[in-house]
Amino acid sequence: MIWIGDVLVSPGEGGVYGERMLDGYRVWDPYRSKLAALYVLGTGVDLRPDMRVLYLGAANGTTVSHVADYVETVYAVEIAPRPMQDLLEVAGRRRNVVPIMADAGRPGEFAPFMEAVDLIYQDVAQPDQVAIAERNLPFLKPDGCLILMLKTRSVDVRRDPAEVLEEAREELGAHLIVVETRWLEPYHRDHAALVCAARR
Amino acid sequence: MISTMRRYWFGDVDEEGGCRIAGGDTEALAERALSLRTGMDTFVPLDWRTARDCGFVGDREEYIDRLREVCIALARRKIAQRYRGRDVELLQMVRTLDELDHVINLLNERAAEWYQVARPSFSRKYRALPARRMVGAIRRVADGPLRRVADEIDRLYGVRSALMQEVSERADEVLPNCSALVGGLVAARLVSRAGGLAALARMPASTIQVLGSERALFSHLRAGTPPPKHGIIFQHRRVHNAPKEVRGRVARVLAARLGIAARLDYYRGVAVPEFIAEAQARIDEAGRAA
Repeated sequence: MIWIGDVLVSPGEGGVYGERMLDGYRVWDPYRSKLAALYVLGTGVDLRPDMRVLYLGAANGTTVSHVADYVETVYAVEIAPRPMQDLLEVAGRRRNVVPIMADAGRPGEFAPFMEAVDLIYQDVAQPDQVAIAERNLPFLKPDGCLILMLKTRSVDVRRDPAEVLEEAREELGAHLIVVETRWLEPYHRDHAALVCAARR
Repeated sequence: MISTMRRYWFGDVDEEGGCRIAGGDTEALAERALSLRTGMDTFVPLDWRTARDCGFVGDREEYIDRLREVCIALARRKIAQRYRGRDVELLQMVRTLDELDHVINLLNERAAEWYQVARPSFSRKYRALPARRMVGAIRRVADGPLRRVADEIDRLYGVRSALMQEVSERADEVLPNCSALVGGLVAARLVSRAGGLAALARMPASTIQVLGSERALFSHLRAGTPPPKHGIIFQHRRVHNAPKEVRGRVARVLAARLGIAARLDYYRGVAVPEFIAEAQARIDEAGRAA
């Protein structure tokens, strides 16, 4: 990852969403992007130039654009038409972003486009987030990683977020090695990151 | 041995790597991709080199370029299709209407305060002077910037009434059954809160009953406060005019009928007179005090 002082940046054409520029690099704000928050908090999976990434819940393409600055190819999956319009704009200017309009929870819909990836990054506001991640595991290389941004409030607002995280960790542990879990405070409330590695 | 073909976006591939490339341009490939479905238990991730070995592309860069083109074309089709729904614009219209109300109220209050400062002897007490009439009064007597602001508020009232009329008419057309039960405006607000007619048609009646009272509902679920009896449907006269003892019942019966009405609107798209007559009778019945 590229740091200027203690500011996280990414190399690429700026002006995607009005982000600040620093020495020609795009500032990647941890308050706006959960993935940036994870890196600023000192963990995460380093993005490498040869990586292929499956990004579930791409939304407006804000974080997607930063990921695309670092890696070889990003498969960006999003279902809602409004954010998809913005994502297409981002994809139009970044040749390594493949925008896929499909339901992240139904991988069969977009599997015909997919190759195996080094990293699955998931950020979707659904109650069955963990099950969605599991359904997408066939796309992961044998030495790949999964970063799941768990929105505990989307799983169940009534339950204690810590309890929701514990349950997610157990469920994912059945398929993957959960390397680390991390709350994204103070950047994002009630959001936790689960960093997992594939079982070889 | 018969080998099974795996279907990918650029063509079909058999287990030995032999393939049949799908012909045509980007649009043709997008069209073909619409019909592709893969069972995940038998799925094998694609290796882009297969596409190269089949002669579909020369190198990886070209592979990603072609894939991107097809995916962008496909996404554009899907977006256009989603926006073709006749409820999509209605949703924006009713949200704009509610926001206009909000803005007009704020400006009214501000103009009234301003006017009182300009006229120290003026008070609204004992005058039965609602904000709407207040703006009229200000336009008659004030001048300068306050007058211009009041004129603008008056124009917004005009925009609002015209928009309300249009929302009502559009709702009658797009939501004939729901509109028959609760009027076009309330029907449109329900669709707006649900996020579209498709979403409303899939909701259970119990959810429709409390749409718009999410604060009270979650306070109930979390802290055990009394549950809300009604949300947006309270705006319908048969709910808010009902005696307090039966209001919850009316809301429940109405919501049950609205659930059916939404499905009729979504799947049939035309008014169903027999349903409407029966539903109206049941709702009126529920409103009679026990």
